Amino acid sequence: MFTDIAHTIRALENQKYICSPEIATTIFLAMKMEKPVLVEGPAGVGKTDLGKCIASALNMDLIRLQCYEGLDEAKALYEWEYAKQLLYTQILKDRLSAILENEKTLSDAVNRLSSEEDVFFSERFLIPRPILQAITNKKPTLLLIDEIDKSDSEFEAFLLEVLSDFQVSIPEIGTIKAERKPFVLLTSNNAREMSDALKRRCLHLYINFPSRELEERIVALKVPECSSDLIRQLVKAVHKIRELPMKKEPSISETLDWAKALALLGCEVLKEDVAISTLNFLLKYEKDIELVKKNRKEIFVH
Amino acid sequence: MFRAHDKERAITNTFIEFVHILKDAGVTISTVELIDMFEALRHINPYEKEIFRQALCTTLIKDYTDIPIFEKCFAEFFEKKSAQKGFDFEIFLHDAHNVSSLTQHPLFNEEYSQEIFDSIDSIIDAAFRNYPDKTPQDIIKLLLEDLESESGAIGQFIFNARSRSREGTIGNADIAEQEGEQGFIKDLIRERIQRRVFERSTGRIIQKREEYLLNRYIYRLTPQEVKEMRDLIKRFGQKLKNRISLRKKKVKHGGIDVKRTLRKNLQYGGTPFKILFKDKKIDRPQLVVLCDISSSVSQYSRFMLLLTYTLQSLFSKVRSFAFISNMVEITHLFREMDPERALNSIFEDTNFTYGWGSNYGHCFNQFIREYSDSLTSKTTVLILGDARNNNQDPGLESFIRIKERCRNLFWLNPDRRHLWSWSDSIAELYLPYCDEMKEVRNFLDLSEFIDKLFIR
Repeated sequence: MFTDIAHTIRALENQKYICSPEIATTIFLAMKMEKPVLVEGPAGVGKTDLGKCIASALNMDLIRLQCYEGLDEAKALYEWEYAKQLLYTQILKDRLSAILENEKTLSDAVNRLSSEEDVFFSERFLIPRPILQAITNKKPTLLLIDEIDKSDSEFEAFLLEVLSDFQVSIPEIGTIKAERKPFVLLTSNNAREMSDALKRRCLHLYINFPSRELEERIVALKVPECSSDLIRQLVKAVHKIRELPMKKEPSISETLDWAKALALLGCEVLKEDVAISTLNFLLKYEKDIELVKKNRKEIFVH
Repeated sequence: MFRAHDKERAITNTFIEFVHILKDAGVTISTVELIDMFEALRHINPYEKEIFRQALCTTLIKDYTDIPIFEKCFAEFFEKKSAQKGFDFEIFLHDAHNVSSLTQHPLFNEEYSQEIFDSIDSIIDAAFRNYPDKTPQDIIKLLLEDLESESGAIGQFIFNARSRSREGTIGNADIAEQEGEQGFIKDLIRERIQRRVFERSTGRIIQKREEYLLNRYIYRLTPQEVKEMRDLIKRFGQKLKNRISLRKKKVKHGGIDVKRTLRKNLQYGGTPFKILFKDKKIDRPQLVVLCDISSSVSQYSRFMLLLTYTLQSLFSKVRSFAFISNMVEITHLFREMDPERALNSIFEDTNFTYGWGSNYGHCFNQFIREYSDSLTSKTTVLILGDARNNNQDPGLESFIRIKERCRNLFWLNPDRRHLWSWSDSIAELYLPYCDEMKEVRNFLDLSEFIDKLFIR
């Protein structure tokens, strides 16, 4: 557990994650209030990394659930192991007939059998999927539900019980409640809007592209081989590029790629011609590259 | 870091007022979120501005498109109060405790004045409800007049208060003393009105501003407003997009998928334990937008082109055309340029004019001749225009052919309903062949229309 906001920032920095006071505040509050966090923001600003770094900073188990269209209860919560149940019934056939031997009528036999039903619907035959794992885990756990916007809205409904009460209801067994509440982080790329019910249960965090100063620190930390002049100039250029009407704005991870490439080429400062020829590290669409080339005079001024 | 003491109520009230301002500005906030906010404040140091603001934002604001509104409200409510120094929680606390500048007055009584404030607040709230169109200044004026008149709600209130106090302690006070007391109560009320009206109107002004921009004819916007408008359209477009994709996801699944069902149920010895369904293909909307930019719609044409631009940025398969008496495809212009530059280059282009004024017939003929490849059985055609054809051939035959070759045809008409077919408009002639013709005058109308487009 983080002790205060400054500690949150420091602990994450030790994990090589530089976060703004806003991010730290929300994470700190969510831990104190035992609430899930819904993290939104453009692709590549480090939403998933945030989860990973919190987990390693606090030495928590990280359980990750990647969402996709068609993800259902069986893959996210739990599943009955039908095959194993069938196998056990086969093997125990003799035992079963021995038990049922003394029953005279068919209905007595059925009654007898149903009293043994619990054996077949016990946790022994339950395959825990990520969410159930997170709830039953004895150690501190961070449950990362990644790209929740890719899942169907029905799936969101399953989540509600977990997010507000940290419990899972299994009709055959009953309710399994978390002994130790996991810290839940949901990320979304805004492919669709989340339901109000889900949003109400979470704290909300919007991570935007970082400020120049912050991004410079991130590059310096992750690509230490870059000279400080180069970092300053390339981050400045990236920020100017983000202001253009891009099809896809360069994200932090792409800034890092570009910085690495420039460092490998032995650049001490950002030269216009080298920058132009390495633009494909930063931009993923031909049109965007064209646009930057057109505006090269304004972007690469020193 | 709030200690439980008797002044806590004043602070709580101030925060609730802030939430009211957000609500007035159009943000939805539920009680759970309000409770979360108070819980969060207990864990942080409110003297650090960034952290304090983020604590409020993270608990109250759940839609990231509302964050700019939150920031505006926060600035108005917390930063303006503490004068030129920016935000200072000390000053804020001081303000919250100091309900009035008259607390040092010999006649001031905390309990009694709280009673007065509560009653006055409800009168002010009623005034806001009853006169939704009045500006805050008007409302202050109205209430102050009421205060002086003796016969209005506030006058009555003072009268009652006075007679009650006369029965009480001040048994045989002389007239001078009575008048002094009355003057004091009036001062108290006057100050309260100013303060309360300011608080009540903060959020409203922000929302009014948005409505004002959305409802304004594009051509009347000042450059500053255009910039504001662009942010608004971006925010608005994102909201629209989110809503549409939420709706898309709600489409139910299709029929049984035999292949996947068989494969899945092999583990149960071939008994179909689990039925799997095919995913229903959701076809992305294919739009063809035809936009009239002639002089008869000049006051709307920039607006309509902006609409077209918004549509094109919302959906991937959109082809846009502009016409006066000649039709020109402008899809690529919008794709390459930001809206303002695209709009300017459209108006500088002279390809549109063929003869004089708009000629719908000629344009429909030309569309069938040159661009009919854009029409498929999945296309929705949107026509933006007033159907004022300058008494020329309506080209009805081509229009019907467009209709036959597309799935839906909608006409968005900037003219009011009763003006259709008035003067040289031939809207009624086209009307029977449209799936719907709708009056669309601003962004709000458009959002309603787009909403409907996806319910079908």
